[in-house]
Amino acid sequence: MKSFKKYWAIFQITLINSLAYPGELIGRSLMIIPFMWIFYQLWKVTYAASGSEVINGLSLSNVMWYLMLAETIELGRPPLARTISENVKDGSIAYLLNKPYDFLLYQLSTTMGETIFRAIMNALFGGAVVWWLVGAPEHPEGFLIALPAIIGAWVLHFCVTVMIGLSAFLVEDVSAFTWIYQKLAFLFGGLLVPLDFYPGWLQTVAKALPFSSITYGPARLFVTPTKELFISVMSLQVIWIVILALLLTFAYRRGVAYLTVNGG
Amino acid sequence: MKELKFLLAVWKANMLSAIEYRASFLSQVIGMMVNNFMYFVIWIIFFDRFKDVRGWELSDMYLTFGVLASSFGLVSMLFGNAFNLSDIISKGRLDYYLSFPRPVLLHTVASRMIASGMGDFTYGFISYALSGYFTWDGLLRFVLATLLAAVVFAAFLILIQSLAFWLGIMSNFSALALNAMLTFGIYPITLFDNYAKVILFTLIPAALMGAVPAEFIRGFKWQALTELLVGAMAFLFIAIFVFRLGLKRYESGSAIQVEV
Repeated sequence: MKSFKKYWAIFQITLINSLAYPGELIGRSLMIIPFMWIFYQLWKVTYAASGSEVINGLSLSNVMWYLMLAETIELGRPPLARTISENVKDGSIAYLLNKPYDFLLYQLSTTMGETIFRAIMNALFGGAVVWWLVGAPEHPEGFLIALPAIIGAWVLHFCVTVMIGLSAFLVEDVSAFTWIYQKLAFLFGGLLVPLDFYPGWLQTVAKALPFSSITYGPARLFVTPTKELFISVMSLQVIWIVILALLLTFAYRRGVAYLTVNGG
Repeated sequence: MKELKFLLAVWKANMLSAIEYRASFLSQVIGMMVNNFMYFVIWIIFFDRFKDVRGWELSDMYLTFGVLASSFGLVSMLFGNAFNLSDIISKGRLDYYLSFPRPVLLHTVASRMIASGMGDFTYGFISYALSGYFTWDGLLRFVLATLLAAVVFAAFLILIQSLAFWLGIMSNFSALALNAMLTFGIYPITLFDNYAKVILFTLIPAALMGAVPAEFIRGFKWQALTELLVGAMAFLFIAIFVFRLGLKRYESGSAIQVEV
């Protein structure tokens, strides 16, 4: 319990800190506006050309609210892999490792603290634009139902990005890994095109991978909040969180064994 | 001529510096090509399902993405500091460049090479080769269109980032403008109505980096070439003018810094 309080305090400090520069917070969140507008243009034309109001179980409104939540999850995340790799490269990680806390839990607490308001701002701007373009979501309660999946998505993403950041123990530059992970998340997570529009075989592959639990699962749950989907999304997320958390712990222990810090 | 020699010397030094760490250089070049390919797979899936967007097909996407990637890569390789010019201005790092008897803007933007740009530049040619529009004279048009689109893109970056002379720190706004330029450049121009198209030729000249060069590559058209030439020259002129105007307001931070 005492240990939990420590990480809760770290989370709270980072959360408050993220509000210190409201201009920056708002400025960064404006990015979602042109994205939503251009998505609307693309899907409006696509739906009009298809001559159907519903494609693969999704209406235009569903697609737009799906994309809004998917982008909120994506844009709300801080660039953790880059931060950790820089910490490793410049040796400042030594200052984090010798403190009386677990490095991974410390990173998780600060990342979640940084993410919350970024995501809220993105959801506000993105939601306002989508509401104006296609009207209110069909299932507003879907947001509350998808909330645990959104948090699970951030935890999953955390596990992957910390592993990428820690790979700086072995390689000089992790940016290539970051780009490829981001594009894997775009492709298999259904960030730009919902997985429902993929060919059947690719849907099966994509839905089994962790990327779909990071983006597609929570966003689809938001637009079609059924009990079956909730159980399916949450169980897959839990399985992937356990697997990736174990891998991360192993990678971290091996990484620290490699670490050499020069000077002081 | 003197300035060209200077530029070639700066680019050579940048290149030697980048390939000094070969593993890192190669991982960035190859990583960026894989990154571009994976992004493009999403468009392949989209067009496999929906066939076309108001007449715009997958082959058009290959072409547009190709010219956009190559021009983006060219600017990243040759004028890498154009991406963080606002940072250089707001942190007083122009002092270093002002102390040299060389054009300040040219020296500043050319002093950094982004290695991954080589991956973008190369990938653009591959994308063009796969587009189904490949011909040998088309390749010459692709090269010319890439050069002109790169001028538009570099000028747009300089113009936006020079606003830091008036606005100070503006990294979020720069990132927003860059993302808007790339996103609107990639998406099919047939999506937009006439009002949006006016914006895409002026405020965010994404059409001059994607759709117009692609139209010129498909087949020689005087109108497309004129639009590209006039757009490139006009944006370059405005960018240099705004930078020079802003430079008059520049105040040194007197910070001691090392430029590497």
